[in-house]
Amino acid sequence: MNLTLLIQALIGGFLVGGVYSLIAIGLSLIFGVMKIINFAHGEIMMIAMYITYWLFVLLKIDPIISIIIVAPLIFLLGYCMQRFLVNRIIDAPELIQILLMLGVAIVLTNLALFIWGPDHRMAATRFSLSAIMLGGITIDVSRLIAFGIAIIVSIGVFLFLAKTETGKMIRAAADNRLGAQIVGIKVNRVYAISFGVGSACVGIAGALILPLIPLDPYLGPSYTLTSFIIVILGGMGSLLGAFIGGIIIGVAESLGAVLLVSSLKELVSFSILIVILLFRPQGLFGTRNE
Amino acid sequence: MEKIRKKHSFLNVKEKSFLIVAGTILLGMALVITGFPGITIAAGPKVIKIGSIQPATGMIAEIGQACRRGNLLAVEDINARGGIKSMGGAKLELLLGDSEGKPPIGRSEAERLIKNGSVCLVGAFMSSVTMAIATLAEQRGVPFVIDIAAADPITQQGYKHVFRNFTKSSVFGRCYADYIKDIIAHSKVPIKRAVLMNIDDLFGTVTAKFTLKALKDKNVPIDIVAHITFPHAAKDISTEVAKAKAAKPDILIPIVRIASSRVLLKELYKQKVKLLGIVAPGCPGFYEPEFFKDMRKLANFIMDSPPWINPKSSMFKEVNARYQKKFNKGPMDTNSAYAYEGVMIIADALERAKSTEPDKIVAALRKTNIKEHITLGGPIVFDKNGDNPNAITGMLQNLNGRTRLVLPREFAEVDYVFPTPNLWER
Repeated sequence: MNLTLLIQALIGGFLVGGVYSLIAIGLSLIFGVMKIINFAHGEIMMIAMYITYWLFVLLKIDPIISIIIVAPLIFLLGYCMQRFLVNRIIDAPELIQILLMLGVAIVLTNLALFIWGPDHRMAATRFSLSAIMLGGITIDVSRLIAFGIAIIVSIGVFLFLAKTETGKMIRAAADNRLGAQIVGIKVNRVYAISFGVGSACVGIAGALILPLIPLDPYLGPSYTLTSFIIVILGGMGSLLGAFIGGIIIGVAESLGAVLLVSSLKELVSFSILIVILLFRPQGLFGTRNE
Repeated sequence: MEKIRKKHSFLNVKEKSFLIVAGTILLGMALVITGFPGITIAAGPKVIKIGSIQPATGMIAEIGQACRRGNLLAVEDINARGGIKSMGGAKLELLLGDSEGKPPIGRSEAERLIKNGSVCLVGAFMSSVTMAIATLAEQRGVPFVIDIAAADPITQQGYKHVFRNFTKSSVFGRCYADYIKDIIAHSKVPIKRAVLMNIDDLFGTVTAKFTLKALKDKNVPIDIVAHITFPHAAKDISTEVAKAKAAKPDILIPIVRIASSRVLLKELYKQKVKLLGIVAPGCPGFYEPEFFKDMRKLANFIMDSPPWINPKSSMFKEVNARYQKKFNKGPMDTNSAYAYEGVMIIADALERAKSTEPDKIVAALRKTNIKEHITLGGPIVFDKNGDNPNAITGMLQNLNGRTRLVLPREFAEVDYVFPTPNLWER
């Protein structure tokens, strides 16, 4: 086995993993607080990517900068989604919750299809073709930037939850909804904010990967699925778990492509999922409930 | 208050009779517009319905829409020329079906279009979907003209009602091997090592298999030093490209689809993979107008060998001009052109059959011999399997932001450039 190739795969996997982490943190936050699995997670990312794309094409704003615009917009989308849709089914049986979120996903996909059509779009940004060569190893600049910002945003989310008042309210509502209500926390508002923050995370991730992958209305489900695997691996509701899980899956897929046949790389992440479900169903960083 | 409500809640006699008359007129108009389904058939068809099933939404909707545009333009052209003359100028009507790229949906859409009176079907781009529709068409006894679908087995089932104008996968491979031989013979630098990279769906694996087989059967002096398969919807293929780079190939043989072509090319650029050329054995992704828009200079010099339009055909020039004007899209390519021919073949058969009876249409289709058409290869005829033995592929090369036909030489627009400059030097 070629050593350069192996190092290349490790670095590539690590960089992709950072973005996976950010996507999964959004999903995990929403689940941790509301116990709702956001099956429209990938679709929210897709919408964020379209916004980023049009900001780039029409106003020439680089995706990295457009995060400043995209994040609040997607926060608002998430906030409203929680307020008007999710909040109504928060106590409903899980099946109903899943159906609603799947419904939202279908609506978003078809909305994108209706407005922008099925064409693949690709943003040729300043960095989309640049790479750093270190000996025989290539480091992709867009990926490096995406990784760096994803890490910064993830740390930001951790700090937000740990230090700010709203963050503390979110954690309180997540720990004990009734208790939070008793001490005067407006739980509905806190829920909407959490959903907004979770959506903004995946929105930022979308803006970051726009220079890397072709955009079309159908890319949502595969990202929802990947982040779902990561969240199960890391532990449902654990943000640290989602973060480390993202890196693990990124590296595992990349190494899988080198060590096994590359079309088996998705098999690697699903095998990890099965092993985790069998031997540690609470995930790496999850705690056993009840 | 009471009075007002009374006034509003009752219609007087005059108003009532007016409503009845108006209603009857409207109903009558509706019946005229919908064409009195039962009555027209008895009086001999004024409108002949053709069912078009394309993947108009779903993963490959871009292509599906192009196919649908081709079908629609052909119908419009035939109607503008006076419809089917042997049947009193009967007009064609295209019933639109959408397979979403999924075989069961394609089948149920075909079923629906047959129920709605299609006398003939055309479609369906994806081989898996086409196979499902072919089986249904055979069961129902409805002629099915395949405009696009390459998998060989579709026409090897002994079906009587299925005809295919498109090039078969095995022919793709054979033409490709010939073109590669031509390139090797004319290249000033030796070409010895090739890496084959293909997506892992049915299309990718089958094309890879036929390509490898043809290169071997035709004794093309080239070593496949690595064969890399990667997932169709891969989000990241940097590792796969690193693997290809490690194999130090002279040429890359990619088998991709629209999205993966972009990802692959960018990755080759970023990792600075040295290649004499990228020569694809007939896959989508490298010649659509959007490809140039997205990849700009990187799109240049890439070679691909799909079935293609005949740039020397005067009929093509004329049809293409109208296509671009009507749909405001780039020039016609394989998808829209073969879709156009699909309807053209049906219209030609109807003209000679002088009937919408399935048996007569099938008999006429068997005797098809269309000399003037818009794609590569000789006249459109059908062999005993229903295949067009004259359907071939052409070698294309992107030069100066345009896709040009470079092989076979009898149809070629320009000569090809080989070896090609490195991606980062374009």
